[in-house]
Amino acid sequence: MALLEVHQLRKNFGGLRANDNISFEVQQGELVGLIGPNGAGKTTLFNNISGLHPVSAGRIMFDGKDITSLKAHDVARLGLARTFQVYVASGDLTVTENVMVGCFMRTRSRARARARAEGILAELNLQEVGESLVSELPVAAQKRVTMATALGSDPKLLLLDEVAAGLNPSEIEDIMKSIRYIHNDLGITVMLIEHVMELVMKVSYRVMVLDYGRKIADGDPESIVRDRNVIKAYLGERFVREHEEALA
Amino acid sequence: METLRSALDFSDFPRIDLIVAGGIAASIVIFPLIPHSAFAMATMIQFFIFSLYGMGWNTIGGYGGQVDLGKAQYVGIGAYTTTVMLIRWDVPFWISMPIGMCFAVIWSFIIGYPLFKLKGHYFAIATIATALVLQDIFEVWNFVGAARGLEISPVKYPSPDFLRLIFKEDVYYYYVILGFFFLGILYINWFRKSRLGYQLRSIRDNEDLARSLGINVHWAKIKTYAIATAFVSMAGSFHACYIKSIEPEDTMSLDLSILIALMAMLGGAGSLWGPIIGAAVLIPLKSYLAEWLGARVGLVGIDLIIYALIIMVISAFEPRGIWGILEKVRRRKGR
Repeated sequence: MALLEVHQLRKNFGGLRANDNISFEVQQGELVGLIGPNGAGKTTLFNNISGLHPVSAGRIMFDGKDITSLKAHDVARLGLARTFQVYVASGDLTVTENVMVGCFMRTRSRARARARAEGILAELNLQEVGESLVSELPVAAQKRVTMATALGSDPKLLLLDEVAAGLNPSEIEDIMKSIRYIHNDLGITVMLIEHVMELVMKVSYRVMVLDYGRKIADGDPESIVRDRNVIKAYLGERFVREHEEALA
Repeated sequence: METLRSALDFSDFPRIDLIVAGGIAASIVIFPLIPHSAFAMATMIQFFIFSLYGMGWNTIGGYGGQVDLGKAQYVGIGAYTTTVMLIRWDVPFWISMPIGMCFAVIWSFIIGYPLFKLKGHYFAIATIATALVLQDIFEVWNFVGAARGLEISPVKYPSPDFLRLIFKEDVYYYYVILGFFFLGILYINWFRKSRLGYQLRSIRDNEDLARSLGINVHWAKIKTYAIATAFVSMAGSFHACYIKSIEPEDTMSLDLSILIALMAMLGGAGSLWGPIIGAAVLIPLKSYLAEWLGARVGLVGIDLIIYALIIMVISAFEPRGIWGILEKVRRRKGR
């Protein structure tokens, strides 16, 4: 049984069909990249899966349960966590307190939530900024705080929405390390939306491509790079050439 | 045990704040012992009552970010429950106050459920509307004195009557409300560090994020609204015993609702000391304006102009009020 099963998902915004007939499965332990041009429906898909927006048609199963019409907070309680593309930092909460909010999903005790939050921050090398306000941190650290907050809720599946956007190469390295740690060491299944191709191709075991609300490809990174449809819709010839050179 | 420890733990404030707070606490405890005018005494009692209203408002309005402009309806529920029960059945304050809180909380659930489906300005407007509806009902409801209101006649009770909270001397009222005031601070100090307290701040900043962290946003708001309500109703019950004369136009008025919200916002919404600072600024100002400018110079209504100015200044310069300014200055110095 797959951890996440999406059957013929459709999402309309009024007359606009944002996503249509999207079906896929994510197995326990996978790390799946989700790519596609802006407006392809990637974040919409995450919003549907995490229950923030109702689907127009189709079915979503998570961990053997039908979550299609569940509220977002109930979906989260089943073990499905996510981060957001545009992170609104909590004005007067410190980094530790932000992560504690995630931990409070599983415990009522403040002491336990704090201990857990501090543990997670240490694992992601964020212990030094624990007492800072999130708004005072550089973007890269903020992104990792959002990941730590999501981890606080002890998820089975983590959806990451563009955690590497706007970061420099060394920051991307750090993010990649964090993602690998979450996946390999914590054993959490990960699905990530990303425009930074080098990150997607390096960390993902499998890549799915959306274009105009349809799934146009799904496979291992190498076959995706060679897929004519994907090159035409998103990657472009230049990327493929450079990618080949990098491999050679 | 953890709850009590958390309520008594103020260690996340800088030491200087605690020294200042301790100094103020000590001076308000001994205030009645030093020579003072009746006007000063009355102003102090008003200050405590309004601090409690503000603390209640601050839970949902400050930490939760849901601007509530209808708090007077809960002042009214508390005040009326206590007054009606005393006049009709001679029920002591210590029984009628919790009953009033229960009524207020039940009412808050009834209107909170639909109200919290609304967001932002729509929510604020809806709270005004429900308060006005309740005020209108009380104005025609003969059982509670309709528009004439109710009066507690103090001569019927030998002072000091601690059970019914009927005193001739203000000093008794002073110490009773001072006790509530300190308990209120301890409760809010616990609340802001509780699970719900953190969840609310997350809701205020981003509801989608809060949902994705397993927080039932609607229910968290309703719960907090009930807490806010209980606070306000409790202080309202006391208020009735203190002023001994209530009528819908006063006790449940829009003016009162706005004053409560304004006080908390001026002092600093979403901070422990904010509502207290706000009350400390606005209540003396209000008393003074009413006493001097209103009565002597004849400038009735000037207080409303000043409130309006304050709202504009806060929203333009520092949405987190006086406390926000203090924090900002401190952070800048800290670097």
